[in-house]
Amino acid sequence: MKTLRTYATRTLLAAGLLFGAVCAQAELAIIAHPGNSLESIDQAEVERIYLGRSRSFPGGGSVKPLDQAPGNDMRDKFFASVLNMTEAQVTGYWSRRMFSGKGTPPDTLADDLAVKARVASDPNSLGYVREDVVDSSVKVLLLIP
Amino acid sequence: MKTRLRTTSAAVLLALGATPVMAVDNIVLNGFMTAGATYTDSDTQWYNGNIRDEIGFEQDSRVGLQVAAQINPKMNVTVQVLGRAREEDYDAFFDWGFVSYTASDAWELRAGKIKFPTFLISDYIEVGYAYPWIRPPQEVYTSNPLTAIAGADALFRTRLGNADLLVQPYVGTSRGQSTVVPQGALEINQTFPPNQQFAFGLPGSVEFVDFEAQNLIGINSSMNWDHFSVRAGYLSIEVSADALGVSQEDAEFWSVGGTMDLNNFIGYAEYFEREIEGGANLGFPNQKGYYATLGYRFGKWMPHITYAKLDENGNPNSCGGANPFPCGEALKQDSITLGVRYELGAGAALKAEAQRVDPEGRGLFTGYDADGNSVLDDAAMIYSVAIDVVF
Repeated sequence: MKTLRTYATRTLLAAGLLFGAVCAQAELAIIAHPGNSLESIDQAEVERIYLGRSRSFPGGGSVKPLDQAPGNDMRDKFFASVLNMTEAQVTGYWSRRMFSGKGTPPDTLADDLAVKARVASDPNSLGYVREDVVDSSVKVLLLIP
Repeated sequence: MKTRLRTTSAAVLLALGATPVMAVDNIVLNGFMTAGATYTDSDTQWYNGNIRDEIGFEQDSRVGLQVAAQINPKMNVTVQVLGRAREEDYDAFFDWGFVSYTASDAWELRAGKIKFPTFLISDYIEVGYAYPWIRPPQEVYTSNPLTAIAGADALFRTRLGNADLLVQPYVGTSRGQSTVVPQGALEINQTFPPNQQFAFGLPGSVEFVDFEAQNLIGINSSMNWDHFSVRAGYLSIEVSADALGVSQEDAEFWSVGGTMDLNNFIGYAEYFEREIEGGANLGFPNQKGYYATLGYRFGKWMPHITYAKLDENGNPNSCGGANPFPCGEALKQDSITLGVRYELGAGAALKAEAQRVDPEGRGLFTGYDADGNSVLDDAAMIYSVAIDVVF
Protein backbone atom coordinates (compact mmCIF):
# COMPACT_ATOMS: atom_id res chain seq x y z
CA MET A 1 0.00 0.00 0.00
CA LYS A 2 2.73 2.29 1.03
CA THR A 3 4.67 1.34 -2.07
CA LEU A 4 1.68 2.08 -4.24
CA ARG A 5 1.21 5.50 -2.64
CA THR A 6 4.87 6.31 -3.08
CA TYR A 7 4.63 5.25 -6.68
CA ALA A 8 1.56 7.42 -7.20
CA THR A 9 3.24 10.40 -5.54
CA ARG A 10 6.35 9.96 -7.64
CA THR A 11 4.29 9.68 -10.81
CA LEU A 12 2.38 12.85 -9.96
CA LEU A 13 5.61 14.61 -9.12
CA ALA A 14 7.18 13.51 -12.40
CA ALA A 15 4.10 14.53 -14.35
CA GLY A 16 4.11 17.88 -12.58
CA LEU A 17 7.76 18.46 -13.42
CA LEU A 18 7.19 17.47 -17.01
CA PHE A 19 4.18 19.77 -17.21
CA GLY A 20 6.20 22.57 -15.74
CA ALA A 21 9.03 21.98 -18.18
CA VAL A 22 6.66 22.10 -21.15
CA CYS A 23 4.97 25.23 -19.87
CA ALA A 24 8.14 27.09 -19.12
CA GLN A 25 9.13 27.90 -22.70
CA ALA A 26 12.46 26.60 -23.77
CA GLU A 27 15.07 29.30 -24.00
CA LEU A 28 16.14 30.48 -27.42
CA ALA A 29 19.88 30.64 -28.03
CA ILE A 30 21.44 32.83 -30.72
CA ILE A 31 24.54 30.95 -31.78
CA ALA A 32 27.65 31.56 -33.84
CA HIS A 33 30.81 29.68 -34.77
CA PRO A 34 33.17 29.17 -31.78
CA GLY A 35 35.84 31.12 -33.68
CA ASN A 36 33.63 34.21 -33.89
CA SER A 37 35.33 37.14 -32.14
CA LEU A 38 32.06 38.38 -30.64
CA GLU A 39 31.19 37.38 -27.08
CA SER A 40 27.63 38.69 -27.26
CA ILE A 41 25.17 40.40 -29.58
CA ASP A 42 22.14 42.51 -28.79
CA GLN A 43 18.67 41.61 -29.87
CA ALA A 44 18.18 44.64 -32.12
CA GLU A 45 21.30 43.67 -34.08
CA VAL A 46 20.01 40.10 -34.51
CA GLU A 47 16.73 41.52 -35.82
CA ARG A 48 18.55 43.74 -38.34
CA ILE A 49 20.64 40.84 -39.60
CA TYR A 50 17.63 38.54 -39.97
CA LEU A 51 15.65 41.23 -41.82
CA GLY A 52 18.52 41.78 -44.25
CA ARG A 53 19.12 45.32 -43.03
CA SER A 54 22.62 44.52 -41.91
CA ARG A 55 24.96 42.25 -43.82
CA SER A 56 27.76 42.06 -41.30
CA PHE A 57 28.38 41.22 -37.67
CA PRO A 58 28.72 44.22 -35.37
CA GLY A 59 32.39 45.09 -35.67
CA GLY A 60 32.74 43.56 -39.11
CA GLY A 61 32.77 40.25 -40.94
CA SER A 62 29.97 39.22 -43.28
CA VAL A 63 27.11 37.31 -41.74
CA LYS A 64 24.84 34.57 -43.07
CA PRO A 65 21.71 34.22 -40.93
CA LEU A 66 19.96 30.84 -40.88
CA ASP A 67 16.24 30.31 -40.54
CA GLN A 68 14.41 27.14 -39.55
CA ALA A 69 11.70 25.39 -41.54
CA PRO A 70 8.07 26.30 -40.83
CA GLY A 71 6.51 24.37 -37.98
CA ASN A 72 9.49 24.46 -35.63
CA ASP A 73 8.70 25.84 -32.15
CA MET A 74 11.81 27.96 -32.01
CA ARG A 75 10.92 29.65 -35.29
CA ASP A 76 7.58 30.85 -33.92
CA LYS A 77 9.32 32.05 -30.80
CA PHE A 78 12.05 33.78 -32.78
CA PHE A 79 9.55 35.59 -35.00
CA ALA A 80 7.47 36.69 -32.02
CA SER A 81 10.21 37.73 -29.61
CA VAL A 82 13.04 38.92 -31.88
CA LEU A 83 11.35 40.07 -35.09
CA ASN A 84 8.10 41.08 -33.36
CA MET A 85 6.14 39.82 -36.33
CA THR A 86 3.67 37.06 -37.15
CA GLU A 87 4.60 34.49 -39.74
CA ALA A 88 2.29 36.21 -42.26
CA GLN A 89 4.02 39.54 -41.62
CA VAL A 90 7.45 38.00 -42.13
CA THR A 91 6.23 36.44 -45.40
CA GLY A 92 4.88 39.85 -46.48
CA TYR A 93 8.14 41.55 -45.56
CA TRP A 94 10.23 39.14 -47.64
CA SER A 95 7.73 39.28 -50.52
CA ARG A 96 8.34 43.02 -50.74
CA ARG A 97 12.09 42.67 -50.72
CA MET A 98 12.56 39.47 -52.67
CA PHE A 99 10.12 40.17 -55.51
CA SER A 100 11.57 43.64 -55.95
CA GLY A 101 14.99 42.05 -56.35
CA LYS A 102 16.23 43.93 -53.28
CA GLY A 103 16.88 41.15 -50.82
CA THR A 104 16.93 37.44 -50.19
CA PRO A 105 15.46 35.75 -47.13
CA PRO A 106 17.84 33.73 -44.92
CA ASP A 107 18.61 30.15 -45.90
CA THR A 108 16.19 27.73 -44.28
CA LEU A 109 17.40 24.58 -42.55
CA ALA A 110 15.28 21.71 -41.30
CA ASP A 111 15.57 22.06 -37.51
CA ASP A 112 17.68 22.96 -34.44
CA LEU A 113 20.25 20.24 -35.09
CA ALA A 114 20.73 21.17 -38.75
CA VAL A 115 21.25 24.82 -37.73
CA LYS A 116 23.72 23.83 -35.01
CA ALA A 117 25.67 21.66 -37.45
CA ARG A 118 25.86 24.46 -40.03
CA VAL A 119 26.90 27.07 -37.49
CA ALA A 120 29.59 24.73 -36.14
CA SER A 121 31.07 24.43 -39.62
CA ASP A 122 30.53 27.91 -41.11
CA PRO A 123 32.40 30.79 -39.41
CA ASN A 124 30.11 33.41 -41.04
CA SER A 125 26.83 31.92 -39.96
CA LEU A 126 24.39 33.01 -37.27
CA GLY A 127 21.57 30.79 -36.07
CA TYR A 128 18.87 30.39 -33.48
CA VAL A 129 18.24 27.10 -31.70
CA ARG A 130 16.58 25.67 -28.61
CA GLU A 131 19.01 26.30 -25.78
CA ASP A 132 19.19 22.65 -24.69
CA VAL A 133 20.75 21.47 -27.98
CA VAL A 134 23.72 23.80 -27.52
CA ASP A 135 27.12 22.19 -26.95
CA SER A 136 30.76 23.22 -27.32
CA SER A 137 30.60 23.08 -31.13
CA VAL A 138 28.94 26.51 -31.16
CA LYS A 139 29.13 29.74 -29.18
CA VAL A 140 26.06 31.30 -27.57
CA LEU A 141 25.90 35.07 -28.20
CA LEU A 142 22.50 35.75 -26.69
CA LEU A 143 19.90 33.87 -24.66
CA ILE A 144 16.26 34.84 -24.93
CA PRO A 145 14.09 33.45 -22.14
CA MET B 1 26.91 24.49 -62.73
CA LYS B 2 26.11 21.83 -60.21
CA THR B 3 22.53 20.66 -60.16
CA ARG B 4 22.61 18.62 -56.98
CA LEU B 5 19.46 19.10 -54.95
CA ARG B 6 19.99 20.70 -51.62
CA THR B 7 19.45 18.45 -48.68
CA THR B 8 16.72 20.70 -47.29
CA SER B 9 13.39 19.05 -47.45
CA ALA B 10 11.60 20.15 -50.59
CA ALA B 11 8.29 18.97 -49.18
CA VAL B 12 8.59 21.24 -46.16
CA LEU B 13 9.57 24.16 -48.36
CA LEU B 14 6.57 23.57 -50.63
CA ALA B 15 4.25 24.03 -47.72
CA LEU B 16 5.13 27.63 -47.10
CA GLY B 17 5.13 31.16 -48.34
CA ALA B 18 8.26 33.02 -49.22
CA THR B 19 10.57 30.06 -48.81
CA PRO B 20 11.63 28.77 -52.18
CA VAL B 21 9.60 26.12 -53.99
CA MET B 22 12.69 24.63 -55.42
CA ALA B 23 16.29 25.13 -54.54
CA VAL B 24 18.85 23.58 -56.80
CA ASP B 25 22.40 24.51 -55.81
CA ASN B 26 22.59 28.30 -56.14
CA ILE B 27 19.28 28.62 -58.00
CA VAL B 28 16.09 29.65 -56.24
CA LEU B 29 12.62 29.68 -57.76
CA ASN B 30 9.75 31.67 -56.29
CA GLY B 31 6.43 32.85 -57.60
CA PHE B 32 3.30 34.86 -57.00
CA MET B 33 -0.22 34.87 -58.31
CA THR B 34 -3.38 36.93 -58.13
CA ALA B 35 -6.81 35.73 -59.18
CA GLY B 36 -9.23 38.63 -59.15
CA ALA B 37 -12.71 39.60 -60.28
CA THR B 38 -14.16 43.07 -60.82
CA TYR B 39 -17.52 44.69 -61.48
CA THR B 40 -18.65 48.29 -61.84
CA ASP B 41 -22.13 49.75 -61.92
CA SER B 42 -20.94 52.51 -64.24
CA ASP B 43 -22.39 52.99 -67.76
CA THR B 44 -18.86 53.60 -68.96
CA GLN B 45 -15.82 51.38 -68.49
CA TRP B 46 -12.43 51.65 -66.83
CA TYR B 47 -9.83 53.47 -68.96
CA ASN B 48 -8.20 50.26 -70.17
CA GLY B 49 -11.49 48.49 -70.86
CA ASN B 50 -10.93 45.88 -68.17
CA ILE B 51 -13.53 46.90 -65.59
CA ARG B 52 -17.06 46.88 -66.97
CA ASP B 53 -20.67 46.44 -65.87
CA GLU B 54 -20.29 42.68 -65.91
CA ILE B 55 -18.09 40.42 -63.82
CA GLY B 56 -14.64 40.38 -65.38
CA PHE B 57 -11.36 38.69 -64.53
CA GLU B 58 -8.92 40.51 -66.81
CA GLN B 59 -7.93 43.51 -64.71
CA ASP B 60 -6.12 41.88 -61.82
CA SER B 61 -5.44 38.21 -62.62
CA ARG B 62 -1.76 37.43 -63.19
CA VAL B 63 1.00 35.00 -62.36
CA GLY B 64 4.72 35.58 -61.98
CA LEU B 65 7.81 33.44 -61.54
CA GLN B 66 11.12 34.63 -60.22
CA VAL B 67 14.40 32.83 -60.66
CA ALA B 68 17.45 33.95 -58.72
CA ALA B 69 20.81 32.37 -59.38
CA GLN B 70 24.08 32.98 -57.64
CA ILE B 71 26.95 33.11 -60.10
CA ASN B 72 29.62 33.66 -57.49
CA PRO B 73 29.65 35.15 -54.00
CA LYS B 74 29.45 38.70 -55.38
CA MET B 75 27.26 38.23 -58.45
CA ASN B 76 23.64 37.20 -58.90
CA VAL B 77 21.14 37.03 -61.71
CA THR B 78 17.46 37.62 -60.92
CA VAL B 79 14.71 37.29 -63.51
CA GLN B 80 10.94 37.69 -63.29
CA VAL B 81 8.52 36.30 -65.85
CA LEU B 82 4.98 37.61 -65.80
CA GLY B 83 1.74 36.48 -67.42
CA ARG B 84 -1.28 38.74 -67.13
CA ALA B 85 -4.89 38.10 -68.04
CA ARG B 86 -4.78 41.60 -69.54
CA GLU B 87 -2.45 40.25 -72.22
CA GLU B 88 -3.97 37.94 -74.80
CA ASP B 89 -3.82 34.26 -73.86
CA TYR B 90 -1.93 35.10 -70.65
CA ASP B 91 1.15 35.62 -72.83
CA ALA B 92 4.11 35.51 -70.51
CA PHE B 93 6.96 37.96 -70.90
CA PHE B 94 10.16 38.89 -69.13
CA ASP B 95 8.99 41.69 -66.89
CA TRP B 96 12.48 42.35 -65.62
CA GLY B 97 15.83 40.68 -65.11
CA PHE B 98 19.25 41.87 -64.09
CA VAL B 99 22.71 40.86 -63.11
CA SER B 100 23.86 42.36 -59.84
CA TYR B 101 27.30 42.88 -58.43
CA THR B 102 27.79 43.42 -54.71
CA ALA B 103 30.75 45.77 -54.66
CA SER B 104 30.78 46.20 -50.87
CA ASP B 105 28.43 46.03 -47.91
CA ALA B 106 27.09 49.42 -48.99
CA TRP B 107 27.12 49.30 -52.81
CA GLU B 108 25.30 47.00 -55.18
CA LEU B 109 25.34 47.62 -58.95
CA ARG B 110 22.69 46.17 -61.25
CA ALA B 111 22.33 46.12 -65.02
CA GLY B 112 19.72 44.69 -67.35
CA LYS B 113 15.99 45.34 -67.24
CA ILE B 114 15.06 46.88 -63.94
CA LYS B 115 11.63 47.46 -62.47
CA PHE B 116 10.87 51.18 -62.62
CA PRO B 117 10.98 52.51 -59.02
CA THR B 118 8.61 55.43 -59.65
CA PHE B 119 6.59 55.09 -56.44
CA LEU B 120 6.63 53.27 -53.10
CA ILE B 121 5.49 49.87 -54.30
CA SER B 122 6.33 50.18 -58.01
CA ASP B 123 9.09 47.62 -57.92
CA TYR B 124 6.76 44.90 -56.58
CA ILE B 125 3.51 46.21 -58.04
CA GLU B 126 2.62 42.84 -59.59
CA VAL B 127 2.88 41.06 -56.22
CA GLY B 128 -0.55 41.64 -54.71
CA TYR B 129 0.31 39.72 -51.56
CA ALA B 130 2.91 42.35 -50.70
CA TYR B 131 0.48 45.26 -50.21
CA PRO B 132 -2.94 45.81 -48.61
CA TRP B 133 -5.09 46.77 -51.62
CA ILE B 134 -6.22 44.75 -54.61
CA ARG B 135 -4.89 47.53 -56.88
CA PRO B 136 -2.61 50.24 -55.55
CA PRO B 137 -4.42 53.61 -55.76
CA GLN B 138 -4.85 54.20 -59.49
CA GLU B 139 -4.98 57.98 -59.12
CA VAL B 140 -1.23 57.77 -58.49
CA TYR B 141 -0.09 54.46 -59.93
CA THR B 142 -1.47 54.88 -63.48
CA SER B 143 0.53 58.08 -63.94
CA ASN B 144 3.67 56.33 -65.13
CA PRO B 145 2.73 53.70 -67.71
CA LEU B 146 6.37 52.62 -67.96
CA THR B 147 7.08 49.72 -65.64
CA ALA B 148 10.64 48.70 -66.46
CA ILE B 149 13.88 50.28 -67.60
CA ALA B 150 16.59 48.85 -69.80
CA GLY B 151 19.65 50.23 -68.12
CA ALA B 152 21.50 50.18 -64.87
CA ASP B 153 21.14 51.31 -61.30
CA ALA B 154 23.10 51.39 -58.09
CA LEU B 155 21.82 50.60 -54.62
CA PHE B 156 23.62 52.41 -51.87
CA ARG B 157 22.61 51.35 -48.38
CA THR B 158 23.85 52.71 -45.12
CA ARG B 159 22.85 53.25 -41.53
CA LEU B 160 21.96 56.80 -40.61
CA GLY B 161 21.26 57.25 -36.90
CA ASN B 162 18.73 54.52 -36.23
CA ALA B 163 17.41 54.49 -39.79
CA ASP B 164 18.40 52.55 -42.88
CA LEU B 165 19.02 54.76 -45.86
CA LEU B 166 18.68 53.56 -49.45
CA VAL B 167 19.75 55.72 -52.37
CA GLN B 168 19.07 54.29 -55.83
CA PRO B 169 20.14 56.32 -58.86
CA TYR B 170 19.19 54.81 -62.24
CA VAL B 171 19.68 55.48 -65.94
CA GLY B 172 18.36 53.88 -69.07
CA THR B 173 15.70 53.78 -71.71
CA SER B 174 12.24 52.30 -71.72
CA ARG B 175 9.58 51.18 -74.13
CA GLY B 176 6.01 50.78 -73.16
CA GLN B 177 2.49 50.59 -74.28
CA SER B 178 0.06 52.98 -72.77
CA THR B 179 -3.67 52.94 -72.87
CA VAL B 180 -4.87 56.21 -74.27
CA VAL B 181 -8.52 57.09 -74.44
CA PRO B 182 -9.08 59.57 -77.26
CA GLN B 183 -10.63 62.60 -75.72
CA GLY B 184 -13.56 64.77 -76.69
CA ALA B 185 -11.21 67.69 -77.22
CA LEU B 186 -9.73 65.98 -80.25
CA GLU B 187 -13.01 66.10 -82.12
CA ILE B 188 -12.82 69.82 -82.64
CA ASN B 189 -10.69 70.93 -85.52
CA GLN B 190 -7.19 70.96 -84.21
CA THR B 191 -4.42 71.76 -86.59
CA PHE B 192 -1.83 69.07 -86.41
CA PRO B 193 1.56 69.34 -88.03
CA PRO B 194 1.29 68.33 -91.67
CA ASN B 195 2.18 64.76 -92.65
CA GLN B 196 1.52 63.53 -89.12
CA GLN B 197 -0.61 60.45 -88.96
CA PHE B 198 -2.77 59.98 -85.94
CA ALA B 199 -3.63 56.41 -85.12
CA PHE B 200 -6.39 57.54 -82.83
CA GLY B 201 -9.81 56.00 -82.79
CA LEU B 202 -13.13 57.45 -81.77
CA PRO B 203 -13.44 59.44 -78.58
CA GLY B 204 -14.08 56.99 -75.77
CA SER B 205 -12.45 54.03 -77.50
CA VAL B 206 -9.53 52.35 -75.79
CA GLU B 207 -6.35 52.72 -77.82
CA PHE B 208 -2.94 51.25 -77.17
CA VAL B 209 -0.08 53.55 -78.03
CA ASP B 210 3.51 52.38 -78.21
CA PHE B 211 6.04 54.85 -76.95
CA GLU B 212 9.64 55.14 -75.97
CA ALA B 213 11.47 56.96 -73.26
CA GLN B 214 15.07 57.95 -73.79
CA ASN B 215 17.67 59.65 -71.63
CA LEU B 216 15.85 58.37 -68.64
CA ILE B 217 17.52 59.36 -65.42
CA GLY B 218 16.14 59.22 -61.94
CA ILE B 219 16.72 58.69 -58.28
CA ASN B 220 14.77 56.79 -55.68
CA SER B 221 15.63 57.20 -52.03
CA SER B 222 14.14 55.98 -48.81
CA MET B 223 14.70 55.99 -45.09
CA ASN B 224 13.38 53.10 -43.02
CA TRP B 225 12.92 53.09 -39.28
CA ASP B 226 11.39 50.23 -37.30
CA HIS B 227 7.82 51.42 -37.74
CA PHE B 228 8.00 54.15 -40.36
CA SER B 229 9.50 54.82 -43.75
CA VAL B 230 9.70 57.83 -46.03
CA ARG B 231 10.53 57.86 -49.71
CA ALA B 232 11.24 60.47 -52.34
CA GLY B 233 11.81 60.08 -56.05
CA TYR B 234 12.57 62.18 -59.08
CA LEU B 235 12.89 61.23 -62.71
CA SER B 236 13.36 62.92 -66.02
CA ILE B 237 12.74 61.33 -69.43
CA GLU B 238 12.36 62.20 -73.10
CA VAL B 239 9.19 60.70 -74.50
CA SER B 240 8.60 59.70 -78.11
CA ALA B 241 5.39 58.20 -79.51
CA ASP B 242 4.99 57.73 -83.24
CA ALA B 243 1.24 57.33 -83.00
CA LEU B 244 1.02 60.76 -81.41
CA GLY B 245 3.64 62.33 -83.66
CA VAL B 246 5.75 63.03 -80.62
CA SER B 247 9.51 62.99 -80.57
CA GLN B 248 11.73 63.45 -77.50
CA GLU B 249 9.52 65.65 -75.39
CA ASP B 250 10.70 66.31 -71.86
CA ALA B 251 8.79 64.74 -69.02
CA GLU B 252 9.43 64.98 -65.29
CA PHE B 253 8.01 63.17 -62.30
CA TRP B 254 8.59 63.73 -58.67
CA SER B 255 7.00 62.05 -55.73
CA VAL B 256 7.14 61.73 -51.98
CA GLY B 257 5.55 59.13 -49.75
CA GLY B 258 5.68 57.25 -46.51
CA THR B 259 4.49 54.16 -44.70
CA MET B 260 3.68 53.24 -41.12
CA ASP B 261 3.26 49.97 -39.27
CA LEU B 262 2.77 50.61 -35.58
CA ASN B 263 0.68 48.84 -32.95
CA ASN B 264 -1.31 47.11 -35.69
CA PHE B 265 -2.09 50.36 -37.47
CA ILE B 266 -0.78 50.45 -41.00
CA GLY B 267 -0.62 53.51 -43.21
CA TYR B 268 0.50 54.50 -46.68
CA ALA B 269 0.51 57.96 -48.26
CA GLU B 270 2.00 59.33 -51.48
CA TYR B 271 1.93 62.48 -53.57
CA PHE B 272 3.22 63.03 -57.10
CA GLU B 273 3.47 65.64 -59.82
CA ARG B 274 4.00 65.01 -63.51
CA GLU B 275 4.91 67.62 -66.10
CA ILE B 276 5.22 66.94 -69.79
CA GLU B 277 6.03 69.48 -72.46
CA GLY B 278 5.16 69.69 -76.11
CA GLY B 279 3.14 67.21 -78.09
CA ALA B 280 3.45 64.39 -75.59
CA ASN B 281 1.20 66.43 -73.34
CA LEU B 282 -1.68 65.35 -75.57
CA GLY B 283 -1.45 61.77 -74.38
CA PHE B 284 0.08 62.51 -70.97
CA PRO B 285 -1.16 65.84 -69.63
CA ASN B 286 0.32 67.46 -66.53
CA GLN B 287 -1.14 65.82 -63.46
CA LYS B 288 -0.76 65.60 -59.77
CA GLY B 289 -2.29 63.15 -57.38
CA TYR B 290 -2.15 61.70 -53.94
CA TYR B 291 -3.67 59.09 -51.69
CA ALA B 292 -3.69 58.11 -48.05
CA THR B 293 -4.51 54.68 -46.66
CA LEU B 294 -5.13 53.67 -43.07
CA GLY B 295 -5.69 50.12 -41.93
CA TYR B 296 -5.88 48.18 -38.70
CA ARG B 297 -4.79 44.59 -38.18
CA PHE B 298 -7.12 42.47 -36.01
CA GLY B 299 -5.41 39.09 -36.02
CA LYS B 300 -5.97 37.77 -39.51
CA TRP B 301 -8.27 40.59 -40.58
CA MET B 302 -7.20 43.97 -41.83
CA PRO B 303 -9.89 46.45 -42.80
CA HIS B 304 -8.57 49.57 -44.53
CA ILE B 305 -9.76 52.82 -46.03
CA THR B 306 -8.17 54.88 -48.80
CA TYR B 307 -8.86 58.33 -50.12
CA ALA B 308 -7.23 59.17 -53.45
CA LYS B 309 -7.33 62.15 -55.77
CA LEU B 310 -6.07 62.80 -59.29
CA ASP B 311 -5.96 66.42 -60.43
CA GLU B 312 -4.62 68.80 -63.02
CA ASN B 313 -1.18 70.26 -62.46
CA GLY B 314 -1.12 73.62 -64.21
CA ASN B 315 -1.59 72.08 -67.64
CA PRO B 316 -0.50 74.56 -70.34
CA ASN B 317 -2.91 76.00 -72.89
CA SER B 318 -0.51 75.67 -75.79
CA CYS B 319 1.79 72.73 -76.25
CA GLY B 320 4.11 73.47 -79.08
CA GLY B 321 6.00 76.03 -81.09
CA ALA B 322 5.50 76.70 -84.77
CA ASN B 323 2.96 73.95 -85.31
CA PRO B 324 1.15 73.96 -81.99
CA PHE B 325 -0.11 70.66 -80.75
CA PRO B 326 -3.29 70.48 -78.77
CA CYS B 327 -2.57 69.99 -75.10
CA GLY B 328 -4.05 67.00 -73.36
CA GLU B 329 -6.91 67.30 -70.98
CA ALA B 330 -5.94 66.56 -67.39
CA LEU B 331 -7.85 63.70 -65.81
CA LYS B 332 -9.63 64.47 -62.58
CA GLN B 333 -11.30 62.21 -60.10
CA ASP B 334 -11.30 61.26 -56.48
CA SER B 335 -12.26 58.01 -54.83
CA ILE B 336 -12.86 56.36 -51.50
CA THR B 337 -12.07 52.68 -51.14
CA LEU B 338 -13.13 50.43 -48.29
CA GLY B 339 -11.31 47.15 -48.26
CA VAL B 340 -10.53 44.16 -46.14
CA ARG B 341 -7.66 41.73 -46.27
CA TYR B 342 -7.84 38.31 -44.64
CA GLU B 343 -4.73 36.17 -44.13
CA LEU B 344 -5.22 32.60 -45.31
CA GLY B 345 -2.10 31.39 -43.52
CA ALA B 346 1.34 32.68 -44.41
CA GLY B 347 1.67 33.27 -48.14
CA ALA B 348 -2.00 33.68 -49.08
CA ALA B 349 -4.51 36.47 -48.61
CA LEU B 350 -8.11 37.06 -49.60
CA LYS B 351 -9.15 40.63 -50.33
CA ALA B 352 -12.40 42.43 -51.04
CA GLU B 353 -12.92 46.09 -51.88
CA ALA B 354 -15.70 48.52 -52.66
CA GLN B 355 -14.61 51.77 -54.28
CA ARG B 356 -16.69 54.84 -54.97
CA VAL B 357 -15.15 56.84 -57.80
CA ASP B 358 -16.26 60.39 -58.46
CA PRO B 359 -14.88 61.64 -61.79
CA GLU B 360 -14.87 65.26 -62.89
CA GLY B 361 -15.29 64.81 -66.60
CA ARG B 362 -14.28 61.28 -67.49
CA GLY B 363 -11.64 60.71 -64.82
CA LEU B 364 -10.07 57.28 -65.23
CA PHE B 365 -13.05 55.97 -67.20
CA THR B 366 -13.42 56.06 -70.97
CA GLY B 367 -16.25 58.58 -70.58
CA TYR B 368 -18.53 56.92 -73.12
CA ASP B 369 -21.26 54.33 -72.70
CA ALA B 370 -21.70 51.22 -74.87
CA ASP B 371 -23.80 53.20 -77.38
CA GLY B 372 -21.13 55.85 -77.85
CA ASN B 373 -22.87 58.53 -75.79
CA SER B 374 -20.71 60.73 -73.63
CA VAL B 375 -21.19 59.93 -69.94
CA LEU B 376 -19.32 62.36 -67.75
CA ASP B 377 -19.23 63.25 -64.07
CA ASP B 378 -21.21 60.17 -63.01
CA ALA B 379 -20.01 58.67 -59.75
CA ALA B 380 -19.50 54.93 -59.99
CA MET B 381 -18.92 51.97 -57.71
CA ILE B 382 -16.22 49.41 -58.44
CA TYR B 383 -16.34 46.09 -56.58
CA SER B 384 -13.34 43.77 -56.55
CA VAL B 385 -12.32 40.51 -54.92
CA ALA B 386 -8.96 38.80 -55.21
CA ILE B 387 -6.83 36.01 -53.84
CA ASP B 388 -3.11 36.71 -53.67
CA VAL B 389 -0.48 34.08 -53.05
CA VAL B 390 3.28 33.91 -52.97
CA PHE B 391 5.19 30.67 -53.18
